[in-house]
Parts: sequence; C-alpha cells; structure tokens
Amino acid sequence: MAETQAAKRLREYETIFLVKPDLTDDNVDKLKERVRGIVGREGGKVLRFTVWGKKKTLYPIAKQPRAIYVHASYLGHTRLVAEVERNLRNFDEVTRFLSVKLADEVDPETRPVLEDLKLAGDVEETRPGAAPVERVVAEDLPESADEEATEEA
Amino acid sequence: MIGNDRNAPRGGDRDRDRDRGDRDGGGRGGAGGDDEKRGGRGFGRKKVCRFCAEKNAKVDFKDQSTLKYFVTERGKIIPRRISGNCAKHQREIATAIKRARGLAMLPYNAMVG
Repeated sequence: MAETQAAKRLREYETIFLVKPDLTDDNVDKLKERVRGIVGREGGKVLRFTVWGKKKTLYPIAKQPRAIYVHASYLGHTRLVAEVERNLRNFDEVTRFLSVKLADEVDPETRPVLEDLKLAGDVEETRPGAAPVERVVAEDLPESADEEATEEA
Repeated sequence: MIGNDRNAPRGGDRDRDRDRGDRDGGGRGGAGGDDEKRGGRGFGRKKVCRFCAEKNAKVDFKDQSTLKYFVTERGKIIPRRISGNCAKHQREIATAIKRARGLAMLPYNAMVG
C-alpha cells in the first residue's frame, strides 16, 4: 500500500480560510501547524502557507468587519481535502473556507516545499495614530462616485 | 438533381445558424452587409477578450483587482456582450467572481450612495 502511494501522483489543492480578526499571530501560527499536521497525517504535502493578514471584508463575516485570510497550497488526495475541511469546520476560530483543485496528477517530488509567507494585510484604521491622510483619500473617493452617479441619474 | 435538392436545405440551415450567431455575438466578420442593414448595430471595433489576447493573464478568484473590472459598482457580473470576453473566459470569470464573493473579497450586493 505504501509503495503504491509513493508511486502515485497527487492532486494539487489550495484552501483559503478566514479566521476571526481578534486572533493573535501566535494563534494563527498554531492553527497553521494544526492544518499542516492534518495534511501530513493523511499522506499529503504542504507546499506553502501564506497568511494574507487582516483584511477588510466586503460584508460582515461572523459579525466582524475584518478577517484574517490564510491561504494554503498542498498536494494530496480527495480524502485529505475532506479531512481538512471537516477539521476547519470544527475550529471555532475559522469562519469561512474554500478549497479549489489546481491541478491533477502532480508528482510530489517535483514540487518543492516553499517557505511560509506573511503579508501585511490592510492598513489598520482603528490603530491609534493611523495616518489621517489615508482617511481623507478614502472619504474623497465615494463622494466623487456619488456625484457621478447623481449626474448620470 | 436529387443530390442538389438534398444540399439546398442544408445550406439554408447553415445560413440561419450564422444569423443567430451574429445576433448573439454582435457584428462578427463575414456578414458586414447585415450590420449595415440593421441600422449600424456594429460599430466596427471588435472587442477582444483580454485573457485570449494576453497569454499570461489567467483568471484567478484571488485576484481582486482584476475581477473588479468585470463587476459593476453594485457588484453584478458584467455581461460578455459589454466586457468583450470570449465564452470560455466569461465562464471562468463568473465562477471566479462567485468564489470571491463567498470569501467576502467581492460583494454580493454593494450599496450605492
């Protein structure tokens, strides 16, 4: 069984999950490691985790205006995706997730494991001393859009 | 003679199909005369599918800035008649937009004003 699995080609998947915004970096890392553990246990291979950081959602999710986005790309079987999703469903911190198949029949040896990335995410407006210039810009934009809309109407 | 008779209706069917294609696609080549008859429906400039023109461009539901281009201010998907996408890429775009909506990267319905 083990030999056939080694010879088998895996599929490439990506999963994005949204985490509650009040989680600290450490907790996000812990969550990442838990997912990594699941993938490893099910005979998959994690290629890369990317934390996109705290971003503004376009509608409130779990009554929160922001969410931390985590993106994982990995190789594995369908069973693995089902297992990852089942676990994500059980994590209280995870509010949304989406898995997509990227490729069929990938040889796991040809794909290198990449270093985890961490992106900055959106600029926090609630942080004290946040640049007021950005706020002005943000306020200006919708106003001008409104004017255009009224003119058209 | 018989052979000719058989061919004639086939040709007619083909012409009809072409007409239909023109109505859907809006001013494709080959039937330029028809466009003039219909009161200048074709404006001469043929829209090109972005993703066909650029080989490197791929439809990706994570790419918010590109998807925004195919969505109205209110968050509706722009039809292919206006965006100029080919059928294949319009399908891909539509799926990508729907995926992005689920992750709150695009709105289901944005408030205007």
